[in-house]
Amino acid sequence: MSLTLQLSMIAAELIYFAVILYFLKKKTLSLKYTLIWLIGGLVMLILTIWPMLMVRLVRLFGVQDQMNGLFSMLFFFILMIIMSLTSIVSKQSDKIRSLTQETALLEKRIREMEDISEGKND
Amino acid sequence: MMLKTLVIIPAFNERECIENTIKEVQSACPEVDLLVVNDCSEDDTADILRRLRVPFLDLPVNLGIGGAVQAGYRYALENGYEAAIQLDGDGQHDPRYLSEMVKTLENGDADIVIGSRFLEKEGFQSSGARRAGIRFLDRLIGLCSGVVVTDCTSGFRAVSAENIRLYAEDYPVDYPEPEAIVQAALKGARIREIPVVMRERKTGSSSIRPLHSVYYMTKVSLAILLLRLGGKRA
Repeated sequence: MSLTLQLSMIAAELIYFAVILYFLKKKTLSLKYTLIWLIGGLVMLILTIWPMLMVRLVRLFGVQDQMNGLFSMLFFFILMIIMSLTSIVSKQSDKIRSLTQETALLEKRIREMEDISEGKND
Repeated sequence: MMLKTLVIIPAFNERECIENTIKEVQSACPEVDLLVVNDCSEDDTADILRRLRVPFLDLPVNLGIGGAVQAGYRYALENGYEAAIQLDGDGQHDPRYLSEMVKTLENGDADIVIGSRFLEKEGFQSSGARRAGIRFLDRLIGLCSGVVVTDCTSGFRAVSAENIRLYAEDYPVDYPEPEAIVQAALKGARIREIPVVMRERKTGSSSIRPLHSVYYMTKVSLAILLLRLGGKRA
């Protein structure tokens, strides 16, 4: 890997971290769900600085072409992130369902209490 | 003395039918309480319920049939009901069977009583393709839980106090009826069907539309198999 490529990749990764930190600071991302993106970025950074690690890792898995190895790993990583998002969405929809029901149960009680107190005032 | 019973009527855009359904339940079985669950209808169902002064839950967000029925079970649990019956708001289910269903629970003959339109094959029988789908799911349920059912998609069912608790805590979403049977059966509930005559829905459309039938069958079959796998571990 040429030095120029290495430098531009590091620059790109720094932008990546900056964007994540910006969103974290603005609180549009919560740290809990951002951790996996930060770890992923860190791995990318390490592999950019020491590309030989990548070569060895790819050989370990029996992949001939370095680039193919890189793409497969990326694809796998992104799949894992998407799956974790699906799991978060599922959990949230459970919670929303439960909250919606609870709200409706409480609303009924309030409605009936109001009816009773209105009746008394008449 | 009859079991303290709650009739849960889920309603989504049922302005045409809901009033009639409520009146039928009240005249067929005046000793039961009733609770309509308005699943965030876009029409004036909520206004009708307010005018009729019947007890109802007004879900602020549309949850679909599973979430709506579960809200009813939660209400039944909070208010100490000994039996709950779900009955669709669209007029398909005839309330004249209510007392028979409660009696079956009361005698201790069953923990869940399902109104089946296929036991005596009378009344509205649905289309051939749908019947085939239902038969397939019936067999799958038999295979996975040992329960013999003929109409696993029927939403006309009575459940005992124990199963009110079960369903209040955990009820399947989306297309809940077949799954709910397996779920209760694996917890040891005894399930029995009684023959009922169903009417063709007066308004609205089935929640199972033709385009969704592939999704429906896949989802429900998988859910049943997963329950079976989970049940073994428990």
